[in-house]
Amino acid sequence: MGKLLALMLTGTYTSLKIFFLTLIFSLPLGLIVAKGRMSKIRIVSSLVNGYIMIMRGTPLILQLIFVYFAPYYIFGSSTDRFTAVIIAYAINYAAYFAEIYRGGIQSIDKGQLEAASVLGFSKIHSFTHVVMPQVVKRIMPAMGNEVITLVKDTALAQTIGVAELFRVAQNAAARQFSTTPIFIAGLFYFIMNAIVSKSFDLIEKKLDYYH
Amino acid sequence: MKKLVLCFILAALIVLPITAGGSKEQGADQSLVKVVDKGVFVLGLDDSFPPMGYRDENNEIVGFDIDLAKEVTKRMGVELKLQPIDWNAKEQELNTGNIDCIWNGFTITPERARMLNFTEPYVDNAQVAVVRNDSPIKNLADLKGKSVGIQAGSTASNAVYGNEAFASSLKEIIEVKDNLTVLMDLEIGGIDAAVLDLFVAVDNIERSGKNFKILDEHLSTEEYGIGFRKNDQALRDEVQKQLLAMKADGTLAKISTTWFGTDITVVGR
Repeated sequence: MGKLLALMLTGTYTSLKIFFLTLIFSLPLGLIVAKGRMSKIRIVSSLVNGYIMIMRGTPLILQLIFVYFAPYYIFGSSTDRFTAVIIAYAINYAAYFAEIYRGGIQSIDKGQLEAASVLGFSKIHSFTHVVMPQVVKRIMPAMGNEVITLVKDTALAQTIGVAELFRVAQNAAARQFSTTPIFIAGLFYFIMNAIVSKSFDLIEKKLDYYH
Repeated sequence: MKKLVLCFILAALIVLPITAGGSKEQGADQSLVKVVDKGVFVLGLDDSFPPMGYRDENNEIVGFDIDLAKEVTKRMGVELKLQPIDWNAKEQELNTGNIDCIWNGFTITPERARMLNFTEPYVDNAQVAVVRNDSPIKNLADLKGKSVGIQAGSTASNAVYGNEAFASSLKEIIEVKDNLTVLMDLEIGGIDAAVLDLFVAVDNIERSGKNFKILDEHLSTEEYGIGFRKNDQALRDEVQKQLLAMKADGTLAKISTTWFGTDITVVGR
């Protein structure tokens, strides 16, 4: 039992690495994509729109296989499998985050930007100091949803051979001919997501400074 | 109080699957009667395991094991239902009664034999290493410090992990869902060698025409059997009886020859 838990903790470590690296890359990338989607330059906005359509319109498991295997057939070389996982997850999640950012940014009244400009704020300054603080507050619930989904989506990494928590649990189940490791894995995911939900609750409370 | 209740529920979730397996099906063995009454024999398989069981161009499940099972169920007078399963969830599928047996190039191992009721071996198999044709790897010792790919939950994983000296000499062991992905990974250079069943390797190289070769040195030899639930003795005996009859009247040899060009079966050895 102790050995099983130790194994599952190494699997959890891999899952957490995927989780945090994906967030680190996709959160800023999503903002760039959102800006691109709202761009007044037609070619930029339609290119970005196409990217979002593909990312949201095809299964993540397929994108994983594509990112890992396709470069060999196209360029004749391939990436390391863990890198492929992070690339696939980051570009996929960036598309979802971008739409959440866009919803938040477009919900801010234009009058505020006009007022900021009258007060002599530069465009960048008014975006970072007037728009974004309000956006962050508004998008928190939607972000919480996506981040919780990401915790569970880490289980797909096993498709291209990355031994994350669920793969480790399934291997243990096959070895022992028992369902117990799978249920323990379920408990692990549940705990991780309980922590994520709790953190989002705390952040929302902290940001709720006008009430 | 709420926390206490939650703890109980979680504990129950963990303990339930452990006890559920043992408490069911006491008393007389109804396994054969049940199958005959239903008129359906449900065979669980990984449908990406050529030539034992896989999908042909028409998306029909075909294979050597499938042909055997068709003949056995015909003689039993029941209908054969093929149920594709996730190979990693095969234990749950069998324990929860979704399938009646696992019959799909299923290797008899001591651990499996403790949990399952196996027929006598019907085919001899070996675990072999496949490498790219241009690879400098000549034998198992050359795999030191290399990456090896296997199908998770398969006997290839027993063969690799079971040989501790060999497993620890490797750089890494990559586990994926099916042999097809393992061989794709070999082709793109993600791994240096793939370990899988001999028949599967031979068949795959022949049909895909890929530049792979099989190392002469084998990791292990093993036997295929048909796995039933531990308590389903009557059903297991009936299938065994039919296989022996098929061996005696030459049907087994005939089916084997169409798939492998020779009789590879060892029923009644």
